[in-house]
Amino acid sequence: MPLIVIGLSHHTSPVTVRERFAFPDATIPAALEKLRQTRIVTEAVILSTCNRVEIYAATDLAERQAMLALRQFLLDHHNYREPIQDEIYFHGEAESLEHLLKVACGLDSMVVGETEIFGQLKKAYETALQHKQTGRHLNKAFQKAFNVAKQIRTETNIQRGSVSVGSVAVELARKIFSSLDQHQVMILGAGETSEKTARALLSRGARSIIVSNRSHDRAVALARELDGRAVHFEDWAAEFPGIDIVISSTAAPHYILDRARLEPLMKLRRNRSLLLIDIAVPRDIDPAVNFLENVYLYNIDDLQAIADDSLRQRQEEIARCTALIRQKAGSLMAAEPLSGMNQASA
Amino acid sequence: MLWLTDRHYFLLAVMVYGLSTVYSLFLWRKGFRLHDRANYFLFLAGFGLQMKAMLMRGLAHSQCPVNNLYEAIAFVDATIVGTCLVIGLWPRLRYIGAFAAPVVFAIGVFALMPGLDTPGAKPQFNLDLVSLHAALTLLSYGAFGLSSVAAVMYLTQEHDLKFHKLRAVFSLMPPMDRLEKIINRTLWAGFILLTTGLAFIPLLLKGRPEARLTDDPKVVWSGLVWALYLALLIMHGRFHQSGRRFAWGAVGTFAFVLLTFWGVNLLSPAHRF
Repeated sequence: MPLIVIGLSHHTSPVTVRERFAFPDATIPAALEKLRQTRIVTEAVILSTCNRVEIYAATDLAERQAMLALRQFLLDHHNYREPIQDEIYFHGEAESLEHLLKVACGLDSMVVGETEIFGQLKKAYETALQHKQTGRHLNKAFQKAFNVAKQIRTETNIQRGSVSVGSVAVELARKIFSSLDQHQVMILGAGETSEKTARALLSRGARSIIVSNRSHDRAVALARELDGRAVHFEDWAAEFPGIDIVISSTAAPHYILDRARLEPLMKLRRNRSLLLIDIAVPRDIDPAVNFLENVYLYNIDDLQAIADDSLRQRQEEIARCTALIRQKAGSLMAAEPLSGMNQASA
Repeated sequence: MLWLTDRHYFLLAVMVYGLSTVYSLFLWRKGFRLHDRANYFLFLAGFGLQMKAMLMRGLAHSQCPVNNLYEAIAFVDATIVGTCLVIGLWPRLRYIGAFAAPVVFAIGVFALMPGLDTPGAKPQFNLDLVSLHAALTLLSYGAFGLSSVAAVMYLTQEHDLKFHKLRAVFSLMPPMDRLEKIINRTLWAGFILLTTGLAFIPLLLKGRPEARLTDDPKVVWSGLVWALYLALLIMHGRFHQSGRRFAWGAVGTFAFVLLTFWGVNLLSPAHRF
């Protein structure tokens, strides 16, 4: 299968270089057409994300010749004149399919096992397909990559667990509540992490957000951004009967919620489960509230420990996934008679 | 295979449940993270063998096989396993079998005790009504057994979440509120079945004015079990009792049923098989 890859990624280049080579979505069809017209490639897919810019191509040229021509195309297209050394990498036929499979499975991602890249790769392929820039070789390679990615996702633990504080909070909420669309979230203290956590919960379907902050203006601004509602800091306890998830990150030097205060509020909530995420340092919520029935309290260290463990488990799965990918790539290469490029390089 | 009796088939079923129990320990050690259905298929095999045993016994008696303590316990066992097989079809509820396996294995071993499978005197009642009464009440115990299994799952999850165990996040167990719903629904199902089963008692005693309900310890015991489950359902539904206490209530009441079922049958003249 005459498939080659050229590009830059977070492994080889800093963001200052990567951003210079990025292809905005709207320009990709034109870039593909321009690439085709150079006659370097017969088929091509351009993948451009914040962590990588890659061109997957099928070519009739010899590997070395194709690599130099594609490298020059990238530099010329982006008008990049500064000196460049190892930032751009190239994979010939032997490694290109394995690389594509690794990218599709998230094994080459900054956060190992992340799933966003799968969607980005699919979109890149569909753009090329839509503009008739793919053919037999790339179609087969990408279909295989998508199938293998799905298989790896179900057969291994590479994508299991959460690796950020926000996603751990979502994961915990989903262990308590079967669906988040019936549940309301409250943010106490409009910090950056609590905002990210709230966004993660909203993206998973949380019903609505209530924001309360000592500076009411900041609460109103954040509530507007999150399509929620702001309440004065003195009034947050009055909202408790309707709240199921609390994210607290105020700058208070003492506990703002302790057992004596929460106990009567739980009665008002008719003992419904309550998830408390305390990401403030010093802590906002007295650890003793965790002894109340139906109350689940997690602080920043608890969340980080879960995220770290997920990452460790994903790292442990890499070897297993790599072996599986090698086997799949090998079987595909064996099934497909070597052609074009190899004959040319011989 | 013609030499195999119904008890042999039941013994094989219990052995399969034993295997499932061992496999459940392995799943528990792995933190309930594995995407596999081995336990489900073990339950399916055990259920098939048990159905074969019950069918053979039923055909031999030409009636529902609930005529002695062995048959009654086997019937409860089959109800729990059958319901687990239905519920286990939902991917997030696949581990219900892992929690049920030790219970059904223990019940099965108990049922196999030789003294329990003795041909008793024919009841002095309408046989069809007796079959219906026994089947409904035993089905209700199956439902209560299942609710206690779901309650153990709930308590495990609750403990893991409270004490920040990593297993709480990484396991493939269902969310807490879904487990609470399962406990509630299976308890309601059991309660309705038990109420219907007990409602046959006056019909069974029709034409026997000398028989008094309070004379039979099993009837009194059944009334107590009925009241306990009613109290549990009212406390949860009406007074918003916490999920944890509700789960402990389901486990405790079923443990009471299991531990006293045999003894109370021995004391009951009408239920002494």
